[in-house]
Amino acid sequence: MNTMNEYEWIERYAAGQLSEEERSIFEQKLRDNPQLAAELSTHQVLMDSLKLYGNRSQLKKKLDVFHQEMAKDTTSQGRRLNKYSVQVFWKRHLPTMAVAASVAVITVIGTLFTMDYLRSLENRQISFYKELKRELNSIKVTQRNIASAVPEIQPEVRPVSYSATGFMVASNGYVVTNYHVINGADSVFIESRMDELCRYKVKEVYSDKLSDISILKITDPDFTSTVRVSYGFKIKEADLGEPVYTLGFPREDMVFGEGSISSKTGFEGDTTAYQISIPVNPGNSGGPLLDEKGNLIGMITGKNTAVEGAAFAIKSKYLLSLIDSIPVDSLPEPVLLSGKNYVKDLKRPEQIKQLQSLIFNVKVYHQK
Amino acid sequence: MNRLLLQPDEELLASLKRGDERALGMLYKLHFPMILHFILSNSGTEQEAKDIYQEAIIILYENVQRDDFELTCKIKTYIYSVCRRQWLKKLAEKSRYVGKVEDFESFVPFVKEDAEIEEKDIQFKVMRQAMEKLGEPCRTILEDFFIHDFTMQQITDKMGYTNADNAKNQKYKCLMRLKKIFFSGYQNE
Repeated sequence: MNTMNEYEWIERYAAGQLSEEERSIFEQKLRDNPQLAAELSTHQVLMDSLKLYGNRSQLKKKLDVFHQEMAKDTTSQGRRLNKYSVQVFWKRHLPTMAVAASVAVITVIGTLFTMDYLRSLENRQISFYKELKRELNSIKVTQRNIASAVPEIQPEVRPVSYSATGFMVASNGYVVTNYHVINGADSVFIESRMDELCRYKVKEVYSDKLSDISILKITDPDFTSTVRVSYGFKIKEADLGEPVYTLGFPREDMVFGEGSISSKTGFEGDTTAYQISIPVNPGNSGGPLLDEKGNLIGMITGKNTAVEGAAFAIKSKYLLSLIDSIPVDSLPEPVLLSGKNYVKDLKRPEQIKQLQSLIFNVKVYHQK
Repeated sequence: MNRLLLQPDEELLASLKRGDERALGMLYKLHFPMILHFILSNSGTEQEAKDIYQEAIIILYENVQRDDFELTCKIKTYIYSVCRRQWLKKLAEKSRYVGKVEDFESFVPFVKEDAEIEEKDIQFKVMRQAMEKLGEPCRTILEDFFIHDFTMQQITDKMGYTNADNAKNQKYKCLMRLKKIFFSGYQNE
C-alpha cells in the first residue's frame, strides 16, 4: 500500500494540488482507510518540520549576515555596544574595585592616624610632665582596714594623702618643698628619721604656683633650732655634665639618687629649671639637688614619663630669689639663710650624714 | 536607516510580517547589545548571546507571520523576555543556574507560548539532525524541492538525472528515509 504512487497522492493532497474531483476521491479513501489517514498526518508533521527547518535555516543565515554587518559597523553600533560593555565592566569589576578602594582609604586614613599618633607622641614627649608627689592609697586602705578591724576605737587618724620631700633652708624652721605637694592641703607635717622619729607640724607661709615653690614654717612649739643648715647655696648656674645628687623620700626611708646635669633648661625649654639624669620617683618632689661640694643647685619638681631618665629641678637661683622677694611683714620671722658650706670638704657619705637631718618627708593631709 | 530606527512598533511589525529584510536587519541590530549585556552579566559568552538572541528573533519573526499573533508589549520587552526565558533554560541545562539572574529590562512572563515554542524548538532540532544524518544527495534534493520550491525538472537538471521520473523516484526514497530518521528522533525527544 505504501507505494510511491500513493505517497504522491498524499503529497499532492497535503500541498493542495489535487483537483476537485481527485480530492473527493482521496477524501473518500481517507475515510475508508484509517492507515492512510495516519500516513497523511505524519506526512503533515514531517512537512511542517521540514518547512520550519527550512525557514529557520534561511532566517538564521540572514541573521548571521546582519550579525557580521553589525560587527563591522563599529561607528554607530559600536558605541551602543560600548555603553553596555562599560556597564558589564562595572558590574564585573565593581566588587574588586570597591575592595581596592576600601583598602586604599583604610591605608590612607591609617597612615594619617599613625602619623598623627607619632606626632602626638612627639608632643607628649614634651608634655608628659609628671609631678612627683606620692599618693598614698595603700596606706589609706591599710588604715581603714585597721579601723574596721578594731571597731571600738574610733578612727581618729586621717589618712595621709600625699608624701613628698622637703628640706630646711633656714635653721629657724623654714622648709621648702614644691607647691604642687601642699596645694589644697589642710594640714602638712614633716618627718625625719634620724635617731628617732621627729615629727613637726608645718604651716605654709608663702607659695608661688608658677615656679612651683612653697615655703613652709615649722609651727610646732617643740621645735628648737638646734640643727645647722650645713650645705651651701649656689647661685651660679651649674654646668652641663656636672655630677649632682639628691636625697628624697620616694618611700618611707631616705633614698639617695645620683646623676648629672643633662640640660640647662627644663620642661619645654623652661630656663628656670635643669634637666637632670637622676632616677626619681613619686615622692622625690621637693628634694634638694646638690653638687659634689654639697651646694644646693636646685629642687626636684617632676619628670618626663615619656623619656627615660629626664627629671627636672628648679634652679636654686630662682628659689633664693623667691625667698628674697617674700615681703618681710608676711613672715612670722625673717628667713635666716646660712651662707656657709660646712660639708664641701667631706666625702659623699659624710656629706649625706650631715645633710640628712635637714631633709624631711613631707606628709600632706587632705580634708575629705 | 535612522527613519527606520524611529519607526513605532506597529509599523516595524507590519514590515516584518511582509518579510521586509531591511526591517529585520534593523531590529536585529537594534537590540543585540541589550541581550549581549544581559547574557554577559549572567555568566554567558558572546557566542551564547548570539545564539540566544537569534533564537528569540526567529521566534518573533515566526510569530509575526501568524495572523493570530498579537504583541501585548513592546518589541524590545518581548525580545528580552524570550531571551531571558531561553537563557534560564540553558543555564538550568548547564546547571549553572543559581536561582537568580541579573535583570536590566522589564520583561513579561510567557506561559501560553511556552509549550508552543518548546515544541517548535524540538521539531527544528530533530529535523536539523535528521537532515544532517540523511546525507547527500538526498539532503539537497529535499531542500531544493520542499524549501526552495524547485520543480522536479529543475532538480533533474541540477542533479544530472536522466529524466524527471528518476529524480522523482529518488526524491521519494529520500523522503521515506527522512521520515524514518525524523520520527525515530522525534519520538525520543
